[in-house]
Amino acid sequence: MKEIVVIIGGGIAGLEAASKLLDLGYSPIIVEKSGRLGGHVARWNRLFPDMTPAADIVSELTERTKGANIFLNTEISFINRLRDSYNIKLSNGISINTSYILFTTGFSLFEAEKKEEYGYGVYDQVITNGDLEQWFNTGEDHRISGKEIGHIGFVHCVGSRDEKARNSQCSKVCCITAIKQAIELKEKFPDAEIWCFYMDLRLFGKKFEDFYTKAQRDYGIHFIRGRVSEVSENIEGKVIVKAEDTLAGKPIKITLDLLVLMSGMVCSQDSTKTAGMLSLPVDSDGFLKSSDNVMHITSSPKNGIFYAGACTGPKTVPETLAEARSAVLEIHSHISRK
Amino acid sequence: MREIYLSGYNNFVLPFVIGMLFCLTWCIIGAARIILQLPGKDRKRFFLSLVNPKTMSKNIRDWFCDCLFHVKLWKRNKLLGYMHSSIAFGWFMLIVIGHIEVFLYTPERVHQIWYPIFFRYFVAVTDTTMKGSFFFFLMDFFLLIVLSGIVLAIIKRAHSRLFGMRRTTQPSLPDLIGLYSLWSIFPLRLLAEGFTADISGGSFLTKSLNMVLHSFLSDYMNMLPTWWAYSIALGIFMCVLPFSRYMHIPAEILLIPLRNAGISISSARRGMASIQVYSCPSCGVCIDACPMGAVKANTKDSTVYLNRQLKRNNKARIDEISEKCLLCGKCTAVCPVGVEGDKIRIAQRAAKKYNLTPDYSNIGTDAVNFQYNKKVIQKNNNVSSSDNKKVLYFAGCMTALTPVIMKSMVSLLEKAGAEYDVMDRDGGICCGRPMMMAGRIGPARQMIEKNTRIIKESGAGILLLSCPICYRIFKENYKLEGIEILHHTQYIERMINEGRLDIDRSDSRLVYHDPCELGRGCGVYQSPRNVVSRAGVLVEASKNGKESICCGGSIGSISLGFDKRRPLTENALASLTADSPDIIVTACPLCRSTFSRYADRPVNDIAEIVDKATSADKR
Amino acid sequence: MMENIFGFSISPSSAINMDKVDRALFEELCRVEPDAVRCMACGSCSATCPAAAFSGMSIRKVLLCLQRGKEKEAFRMMSNCMLCGKCTMVCPRGINTRRLVLSISRIYGKEDTK
Repeated sequence: MKEIVVIIGGGIAGLEAASKLLDLGYSPIIVEKSGRLGGHVARWNRLFPDMTPAADIVSELTERTKGANIFLNTEISFINRLRDSYNIKLSNGISINTSYILFTTGFSLFEAEKKEEYGYGVYDQVITNGDLEQWFNTGEDHRISGKEIGHIGFVHCVGSRDEKARNSQCSKVCCITAIKQAIELKEKFPDAEIWCFYMDLRLFGKKFEDFYTKAQRDYGIHFIRGRVSEVSENIEGKVIVKAEDTLAGKPIKITLDLLVLMSGMVCSQDSTKTAGMLSLPVDSDGFLKSSDNVMHITSSPKNGIFYAGACTGPKTVPETLAEARSAVLEIHSHISRK
Repeated sequence: MREIYLSGYNNFVLPFVIGMLFCLTWCIIGAARIILQLPGKDRKRFFLSLVNPKTMSKNIRDWFCDCLFHVKLWKRNKLLGYMHSSIAFGWFMLIVIGHIEVFLYTPERVHQIWYPIFFRYFVAVTDTTMKGSFFFFLMDFFLLIVLSGIVLAIIKRAHSRLFGMRRTTQPSLPDLIGLYSLWSIFPLRLLAEGFTADISGGSFLTKSLNMVLHSFLSDYMNMLPTWWAYSIALGIFMCVLPFSRYMHIPAEILLIPLRNAGISISSARRGMASIQVYSCPSCGVCIDACPMGAVKANTKDSTVYLNRQLKRNNKARIDEISEKCLLCGKCTAVCPVGVEGDKIRIAQRAAKKYNLTPDYSNIGTDAVNFQYNKKVIQKNNNVSSSDNKKVLYFAGCMTALTPVIMKSMVSLLEKAGAEYDVMDRDGGICCGRPMMMAGRIGPARQMIEKNTRIIKESGAGILLLSCPICYRIFKENYKLEGIEILHHTQYIERMINEGRLDIDRSDSRLVYHDPCELGRGCGVYQSPRNVVSRAGVLVEASKNGKESICCGGSIGSISLGFDKRRPLTENALASLTADSPDIIVTACPLCRSTFSRYADRPVNDIAEIVDKATSADKR
Repeated sequence: MMENIFGFSISPSSAINMDKVDRALFEELCRVEPDAVRCMACGSCSATCPAAAFSGMSIRKVLLCLQRGKEKEAFRMMSNCMLCGKCTMVCPRGINTRRLVLSISRIYGKEDTK
């Protein structure tokens, strides 16, 4: 009998893991709480650094997992630990017995309205990175469409590196995402002036630095080192952003038509809830805790339970995919040893 | 009636006499010192108040209600109220009736201070006449009352929870000595009078006890040791009184006229602050009240312990306790004797030395030109109103960080057709209250002056505030003649009452959180509730009004760090959500952002709720 | 500025010489305020500060000045601090800036900056 592996979460990590498990001759089951596959990537428009359409990646992954059992709109009701396996009860009434569970539960975007001072949900000129990608995809957003947009601001680190927002870690991908989105907006509004307010530019990945240079040189995007601390509205219905230009050492004020908040990554509540059913530990950053952060990032402290992707911390798309494959290998060697 | 001893004296009175004289001298010198420590202006005011029949009659009423009957304690906790008033009033009556007896029977002995106390030993009165038995009955009756109080006190010491107190004060050594001597005074008195009752006469208590005692102890030699014991217990109590919490008994007698004279704390350790510290009865009501008590480690930072450290002059702890406090004012609100824990702490902070004192003389106040906007709205003729007054809206520093409040307020002002301008749209000078709370009165005064100048020149008729912290200092310390100072809860209530806002009531359950500075600070409890119940279904928190729990975000605390505040916020949230409301409503930007960080349901300002519930074009 | 006999003036070096900076007071500050070294220089505090417009107050810069031996500059900035607490509210590191200001006012400036 083919070994069953239950994958919790149908994002790119789950899909990639399922496809590799299929390749190795196992029988993966994907449990996805929403009605569609692809997770956050399916909601994105294009990916850095090569502007790959996100839809292509999701459709390729979905294509490759055709042989897997996929339950959409399904949640985990409870998990029982048996002697050397797990009994999983799904919300659709099905119950599965398996020795291997792979968590690919991913992350949630930080809820930007929690940073009250930025006025998300209060001002019509303030949107998030997620809203912007949505607009790139659909072209529909009353906050952007049909308005004259001359000045745009990006606020980095919204809900990242912020103890007040109860999220002290760096979300890693927002810097490069902001640069990508700034370039894309500049392409849509060639006359617009764009400012990025950053605390530190953390551009670590392949070709990221090139992207930054391109944004400065080819697109004329301005970078100001300072965190935005207040957003107010003027009588003409524009937002006034206050920050400190920490390099000049002077407070700076600017009037904008559109302000994009780069919401960071936080561990999703469903992720911690499901992990709680198995009493899996949560790390100090709020994400799930691997048994070791160097050698065994894909292993949980519990036998038969593995992690892949952003459920253990913020990750880029390629990192997530690589981790999914490595988790599959880990599972494979476990099964082979039996 | 006959006097048993012609000398009217026996050696056993000595412990009492020594204790009494010591205690009296101590208290008189102490009272004189405190009155001398008052600033000259206050001292004059105090003496004038003593000859003013109105304040004097209030003093007498307060002496009876507070010192003897403990009315405030009764209102809070019936059992505790009975316990304290039975001991205090019972004892007082024993002393008074003792004196009456001396006056009636042996007026020539009045100058012997022990005579009324040990009257039964020295004088035998026939208890068969109406007059005799009446006094015997009264004395026994009040002794019984006191004894019942003592029994309750002993039970309370062992099981404070039975009295509804979660935590009670840990007594110090003098407190314990005082406590045990106080407990033993009255049983010993009963015993002594019991032994003597067949000679001196007695009533239901003493006479019956006498019979019981004589059935197995029929020796008169037992009499003297019990009188000695009674006197020694009294003596010990009087001697430790100045060093124990029982100092509150004499101190409160002075505190009441000082308070009624309107004297406030002006120095950290002297005058009014000092008398308040000595008036603290260590009852521990403030321990349960303190919002910091949500964390057990903070128990010893409540006002009762501050007072104790102040008496001991323990500088390090005084500093620590006074800087940690959130200044929510709840201990002051619940204190049965009126110790102002928050003000004592501010006075301690003010006594700290700094090498840098802020100076704002470089900040200009001119060049502010307010242009009151007014949306032209078709007016209903029946709308009578105060809308001819120009409204100057001072949103405040904290509101700048919760822009939703400012946006809702501006929207409401427009819907109501008010003529308004925003004073600090582009930032402004702080109201001065945070500086005041840090004890730095001088710099705060400078800010008050600057803002006063701006506001007076603005031509406004109403100063509208969104932040209760600002509201309090504008109410208490600003002198803005002719300008009405309103918090937005009051202004919104007025706009609704004047028919300038049409509000649609929803079914959502709204719990209202009383911000410390608005509720306890300024006494605004009803206006926000009136407004909230116009917008939805008002539900109450388990602790509300005067008892409301600070959100934990208060800038009153200097030393409490961000991470230390979370349990306080969660504790306050638990009280707010007791009746499972849909939305938590508050009227303070600081409370709003503090709560929304940890709340499991929406937290809104009252202005947001009203703005959402009113339509723009109804008028 | 020092003027020499020819009427030229030469400015003293504006460079910071860390060899000459006395760190004793800052270390004393760190003992009472361990948070003094947790600043990540994001500038939120300066941007929101109502005193910034008048004296250029910025608790971020104050901390930097104190560590670089420029106490006078720090005190000049702090002279307009209103202790309003906005910086405490916006600080992403949760630094208790109000107490920091008070501690600096107590520890520094004992002799010359008064």
